[in-house]
Amino acid sequence: MPDMAMTLVEKILARSCGREKVVPDEIVDLNVDLAMTHDALGAHTAAKFEQLGAENVWDPSKVVVILDHYVPNKDVDTAKKCQNIRRFVQKYGIQHYYEVGRGGICHQVLLENGHVLPGMVVVGTDSHTTTAGAAGAFAAGIGVDEMAVVLKSGKVWERVPNTILVEIDGTLAFPLSSKDLILWILSKLGVSGALFATIQFTGTTVSHLSVDSRITLTNMAIEAGATNGIIEPDEKTLDYLKNATGEIPNCVHGDPDAHFARRISINTEDIKEPLVAAPPSPANVVPVGRVEGTHIDQAFVGSCTNGRLEDLQIAERIIRGRRVHSDTRLIVIPASQRIYEAACEQGLLASFVRAGAAVSTPTCGPCMESHMGVLGPGEVSIATSNRNFPGRAGDPTSEIYLASPATVAASAVEGQITNPKRFLGK
Amino acid sequence: MIIKGKVWKFGADIDTDELFAGRHLMGGDETNAEAYQEFISGSGLSQARNRSNVPDGFLENVRRGDIIVAEENFGIGSSRQQAAETLKFKGIAAVVADSVHRIFFRNFWNLGCPALDVPGISKGFSTGQEIQIDFGSAKIRNCTTGEQFDYHLCVPPWFMNMLKAGGLIPYHRSMNR
Ligand code: SF4
Repeated sequence: MPDMAMTLVEKILARSCGREKVVPDEIVDLNVDLAMTHDALGAHTAAKFEQLGAENVWDPSKVVVILDHYVPNKDVDTAKKCQNIRRFVQKYGIQHYYEVGRGGICHQVLLENGHVLPGMVVVGTDSHTTTAGAAGAFAAGIGVDEMAVVLKSGKVWERVPNTILVEIDGTLAFPLSSKDLILWILSKLGVSGALFATIQFTGTTVSHLSVDSRITLTNMAIEAGATNGIIEPDEKTLDYLKNATGEIPNCVHGDPDAHFARRISINTEDIKEPLVAAPPSPANVVPVGRVEGTHIDQAFVGSCTNGRLEDLQIAERIIRGRRVHSDTRLIVIPASQRIYEAACEQGLLASFVRAGAAVSTPTCGPCMESHMGVLGPGEVSIATSNRNFPGRAGDPTSEIYLASPATVAASAVEGQITNPKRFLGK
Repeated sequence: MIIKGKVWKFGADIDTDELFAGRHLMGGDETNAEAYQEFISGSGLSQARNRSNVPDGFLENVRRGDIIVAEENFGIGSSRQQAAETLKFKGIAAVVADSVHRIFFRNFWNLGCPALDVPGISKGFSTGQEIQIDFGSAKIRNCTTGEQFDYHLCVPPWFMNMLKAGGLIPYHRSMNR
């Protein structure tokens, strides 16, 4: 029956709401498999949960609470929020809680610890919850009122998204990375090109990417306005999850004859040089050559977009034996404690420190104006993070360029925006 | 249900960092509803004066019951509900835009304030005009020019009841009783 064919996301949603078939724009009631909140909105969620008057959390084994934005706490206000969260976790017996020094950035923690499995419905009080789609789950952000209701009932409604299939073919050789790829895709889709839609990434390029690299794609799907981003699980996904959980999970796949609202074909050969999203929007993407030479006050390697081990390895390869330019500063933050440990053991952190970089324990850091690395008036930063709206990371007159770890590291060495190609093979 | 109000015409891509900057997320005491409301209202959009997609004089002159009409992609960005709350506590009764970002859309409704995505609607309005939304007949009217628009909402069937209850939390509380 051809009209029974469903995309991967439609399959997941149909299973979750107990129907044979769902179609785009239909309203469905989903059973949540995993709910996540963090220090930025966890105390707010807890307050809303109390307002609801619920007695119990629907399933404390399906809730993950992670401190990441303001840790270690920077002032009394953020310390109080974390205290409120800890009280909430204890009172309701939440089973998965990641304390400072044992977790990292929420999206990374969910994936590397195997909380997210293929086919799950995941919600989080964070727009970049889309990240979890790299494991083949439906994962989307919600606000705190809704999270309070999810914690009480285990249910959430959703408007079934259309699926935009982005098919990517061709090789991606250094210095290009999945960050350049997602910036390229954003330049095609714009910041509203995927409203109420899923972006499904597929093609030979995606198959060749490591799971760590794929995570960067689903992470920034939200920047095109998407409900979620998703990648069909394959052998690599299963290896990754087996590594995280010790078991090989079951998979959900889309039907081969499913209907896609839109297909976009991308050939990586068209990406001639590394890309940069210039302020004020993540879709304002230009080849690095167009902004080369722009003075930068700060460079940042980290965040849920690009703070993984391979990102640090790439940046270190460029920094090794060199110095951060005297007119700029480099901040390096591994996305999780596990990555921090591995980067320690591999000597990457020592290399950054030797080069004159500031290296921090896992936290969101300068991705958002919340904790550290805040930009002053008129300052310019180049960052591996995901948003560059005015005022995102400091004074409203500061500016952020978004780029890959290679481009950011090269720029830190030169004190100005630099094409990392120049560091190739050196 | 019919609501009517004065229009503030916003531009495209109003983002959540603009509506409520990250630095304010750390402040405020969520456990004290009244103090929190004041904090949220005072913090949001505070730096938006320099932004071309916010109309002149909005922060100084916005009144309870006013309605925002905006171009594409209203509320793009973070899941921070404060971005929606700041508009509610400033008195905004509804947001009508060419398109609305999913999370903002949900957050605003959940606070008991409707957000409507109506492709092309922004062309029919300018700041200072009067807008009327009739939820019964799904029609929007520019009372100043007389122009009328239909809309189609993709929401659960219980949404209008939630609106009447004043938002998601009061709606669920009323069902507990
Ligand atoms: S690193 Fe940035 S985008 Fe990611 S969760 Fe933290 S603040 Fe949000």
